[in-house]
Amino acid sequence: MAETTSEKVMTAREAVERFVFDGAVVGLGGQNVGRCTVAIAHEIVRQGKKDLTLCGCNLSIPMDIMVGAGLVKRTEAGTGNLERFGTTFCWRRAVERGTVEMEDYSHLAMVSRFLAGEMGLPFMPIKSLLGSDMLTRQARSTLKKYELIDNPWNPGEKVVLLPALNPDVAIIHAQKADPMGNVIIEGFLAHDVEMVRAAKHTIVSCEEIIPTERIRNDPERTTIPYLYVSAVVEQPFGAHPTAAYRYYDYDTDHLNFYQRCAREGGKAYEAYLRDYVLDCETFEDYLDKVGGLKKMMALKKAMQEML
Amino acid sequence: MGNFSLDELMVIEASRYIEDYEVVFSGTGLPLVSTMFAQKTHAPHLCYVVETGPIAPLVLPTPLSVSDSRAQHKAVRLGSLRDVLGCLMQRGLADVGFLGGAQIDQYGNINSTVIGDYQKPRVRFPGSGGANDIASHSRKILIITRHEKRRFPEKCDYITSPGYLGGPEDRRQVGLASRKPLIRVITDLTVMETNPATGRFRISRLMPGVSLERVLDETGFRPEVPSRAEEVEPPTEEELRVLREEVDPYELYIKTHS
Repeated sequence: MAETTSEKVMTAREAVERFVFDGAVVGLGGQNVGRCTVAIAHEIVRQGKKDLTLCGCNLSIPMDIMVGAGLVKRTEAGTGNLERFGTTFCWRRAVERGTVEMEDYSHLAMVSRFLAGEMGLPFMPIKSLLGSDMLTRQARSTLKKYELIDNPWNPGEKVVLLPALNPDVAIIHAQKADPMGNVIIEGFLAHDVEMVRAAKHTIVSCEEIIPTERIRNDPERTTIPYLYVSAVVEQPFGAHPTAAYRYYDYDTDHLNFYQRCAREGGKAYEAYLRDYVLDCETFEDYLDKVGGLKKMMALKKAMQEML
Repeated sequence: MGNFSLDELMVIEASRYIEDYEVVFSGTGLPLVSTMFAQKTHAPHLCYVVETGPIAPLVLPTPLSVSDSRAQHKAVRLGSLRDVLGCLMQRGLADVGFLGGAQIDQYGNINSTVIGDYQKPRVRFPGSGGANDIASHSRKILIITRHEKRRFPEKCDYITSPGYLGGPEDRRQVGLASRKPLIRVITDLTVMETNPATGRFRISRLMPGVSLERVLDETGFRPEVPSRAEEVEPPTEEELRVLREEVDPYELYIKTHS
């Protein structure tokens, strides 16, 4: 049954209180330096939700922040990094120390698991991974990573079956959503649509809330209909320091600053978490600290010049 | 050597293996630079595909990530990972895939996951991303990398992206759809390509002024050696102009005088 509509718009604090719990499997949208769910990740850190399993295709800065805060026990993904800005340093350190467990898949493999999940299927076949060590090695707590079968219609042809993945809660950042929970994503989609439709609940933070009339007048633009969405959080610049296509570019200065703190770890990273996350009551306080209106307008202008 | 760097020549040499109208998957970094360069010179109709979802963008200089808006500029579609890695790549519609990695072994297998024990690695790298998908399904694979001995071990610690595994028939035996891809690695010393009869790398070209002995000294495995290896053709003035002024004008990836 569809959830009632008017109660979906809420603050980040309410959304995380209601839909993220200790031990949850949390799907993260966006990729590298685009449309990452930074605002909601900050709120999860403030609320100290722990023993999380984070999943997605590329896990980027939101994952690194939650790992750095000690809230994550396991990641299931294709990659952890910010590409040219470097790897996800807190995560790398935690995996090397054995405090966070990683289960590796390719990006198509992760998408296929969400695809099974969103269609109500138990598994999905894939032709990647064959011959690779993603089929010979697995994390300690993984029970059964895959099954290898013969194509029943073409005996001798090998196919890998991967289990469906239905996160307890998916978190994405989108450009627009209406109060019903209809979502418009602009620019690349990555794995967000499959993951959201597979998840039991979804929190969408968005650059702006638009009237439902705009959705109904232009329904072919709807990326995800309201049926899959539990919470809508209006949070302009909610992906900062990553980019939101058509709205603002990524913030090179702050990405580099974050990476320096994450790479150094220890006190430098504790200071980052305290100054930019824990001591901020809301994401607005963080935005003020990283340069405020002047900085945000510059990032908007940089995006405008590209379009 | 003329007025160009080996990084520039690596990028230009890699682009020479891309043909017009081909569907090319590449990430950021030197592969992206090489793809953009091919598009602006001999392959204006190539279809660049980015794993996050953009199809055939007219890339602005110069993206720092596959999620960079510069890599989405004027695409014909901004789709999803499933659109491109599933419906193009796994579907068998990709011609060329660019890959990179921490280790590349004699059979063209690539490691971008771990050094040491998987469950408690000595070094943890970012992981496959779309690389395993690209290696599993592409017909041609291009790798651009600096030539360092530790990057070219006999055997990878972990196979993230399959090359010929351990022999010429191994890809077929494990069930990979692309059975005999042509894998080429372009370094600042040499160009090597897989020999389909053995599945192993053989040296095909040498960078200007580089001796065969030096390549063998700086490679951790023993590649097959031809009776005579040709020298990589140096870039023209016009090629260098396009690369420096149109592809990487801010020198984000290539320093022109390294």
